[in-house]
Amino acid sequence: MNYEFHWNVVFQKMPELLQGAFVTLHVSVLSMVLGIVIAVFLAIAKMNNKPPFNYMASTWIEIARNTPALFQIYMAYFGLGAFGIHLSPYMAVLCALVFINAGYLAETFRGGFQSIPDAQYNASKSLGMTNFQTYRYIILPQMFRRIYHPMTNQFVWAILMSSLGILVGMNELSGETQRFQSLSFRTLEFFMVTAVLYYIITKFVLLSAALISKRLFRGEI
Amino acid sequence: MKLFKLAGILAGAVAVMASVSAQADQLDEVIKRGTLNCGVVLDFPPMGYFDKDNKPAGFDVDYCNDLAKALGVESNVLNLTWGDRIPSLVAGKTDVVIGSTSDTLERAKSVGFTYPYFVFKFQTISKEGTSLSSFDDLKNLKVGAALGTTYETEYLAYAEKMGWGKSNYTSFKSENDAYLGLYQGKVDAIISTNTNIATKLQTNEFKDYVAGPYVPNYDDVVGLIANRSEGAWISYLNLFLVRQIRDGNMNTHYNTHFGSDAPADLIQSLRDNK
Repeated sequence: MNYEFHWNVVFQKMPELLQGAFVTLHVSVLSMVLGIVIAVFLAIAKMNNKPPFNYMASTWIEIARNTPALFQIYMAYFGLGAFGIHLSPYMAVLCALVFINAGYLAETFRGGFQSIPDAQYNASKSLGMTNFQTYRYIILPQMFRRIYHPMTNQFVWAILMSSLGILVGMNELSGETQRFQSLSFRTLEFFMVTAVLYYIITKFVLLSAALISKRLFRGEI
Repeated sequence: MKLFKLAGILAGAVAVMASVSAQADQLDEVIKRGTLNCGVVLDFPPMGYFDKDNKPAGFDVDYCNDLAKALGVESNVLNLTWGDRIPSLVAGKTDVVIGSTSDTLERAKSVGFTYPYFVFKFQTISKEGTSLSSFDDLKNLKVGAALGTTYETEYLAYAEKMGWGKSNYTSFKSENDAYLGLYQGKVDAIISTNTNIATKLQTNEFKDYVAGPYVPNYDDVVGLIANRSEGAWISYLNLFLVRQIRDGNMNTHYNTHFGSDAPADLIQSLRDNK
């Protein structure tokens, strides 16, 4: 290949790239936390056949799982914009990612819930536990233990999908990379460094999740 | 065995020929291939856009066709975004990019520039009634521009110099998205080129909008870009640009796309290569 690498251009812009990386980390972690909370409700709503909640949950899950993330981010920014609702680029990406994460995780959680034998629901009821107590102390801890690994997959996806924020002018890692590569035209260098940064972010998040889960599940995973 | 020997010699000869022809430069390559792969940004009217039949059209597209004609090859126009221009060259998908590329010294470290072929002014566009009489009024407005353009860089540099900060600035992935953002009211004003703004103002969507102040003290001089190492190819492109003016093609295309003769000072500054 007939190409000379100029790395110093990239290193000069490292502070800005790291700032972009922080925004990426920030938006994906937040989207994951919110997504998990909503997904629990969606999964429960879909399992209990009580209209209209099961229909609402199904619709959410269907749309989130079967349309491209790119389209959803675009809808959150320019689609809502057509109705005069103006989200900032950050909010648009966050909303779209929460929507997607919740949709995907709901199905994962539903699988987790269904893997827990009915006998446990009945047993906790017979001990006089309320619905809330049953979920809080019996079902959810086991469910989260079982779906922990599929859940981290979704986490990685959320980080990588946040790169689509570039579409709506968000100053995350990809957007910053694009800006700097257009200043200097050192495309290959910037893209390679950014790929490494994404790798590091992903590994960092997975490691933190593993540490948290170790404490939370006390090694029973 | 003789047959094998012969085959070996033949294979060797082919390999040698292949390595010889690998030294052919881009100019040879285009002529041999019979097609000129010419990159144009097609969301930047009137330089590049899709016409009513969804075919590439515009000043830059006409230049591609003229260049292909001069080379005696077919013209293949490829649609690029601003950000795709360099990757397309590095990946060998395009031979030349005729895409209003500002000739900064920073970029010239990475890519080969020809002589200038056009000069733009950077200007603001906003809805009628927006209080925007001087460029400094942008301080109090929400401003947008397309990501990775020179006007974005110029605006951000100016904003930093004046201490405005980045908080009221939004970048958009493409020129079209920037206009969409302005249309939807996500931003109060966007920065674009005078030519693009003039075209947009004639459309129905932007009839209530007005062109505002220019970016102070800045002429956007743009050139064609090609692979930096292809010196012979770049000098061919340079001669092509000189001939475009000398033969009057430049003026013809200017008339087609801007509705008047090319201004004398534009022609003169291109003749002076500045």
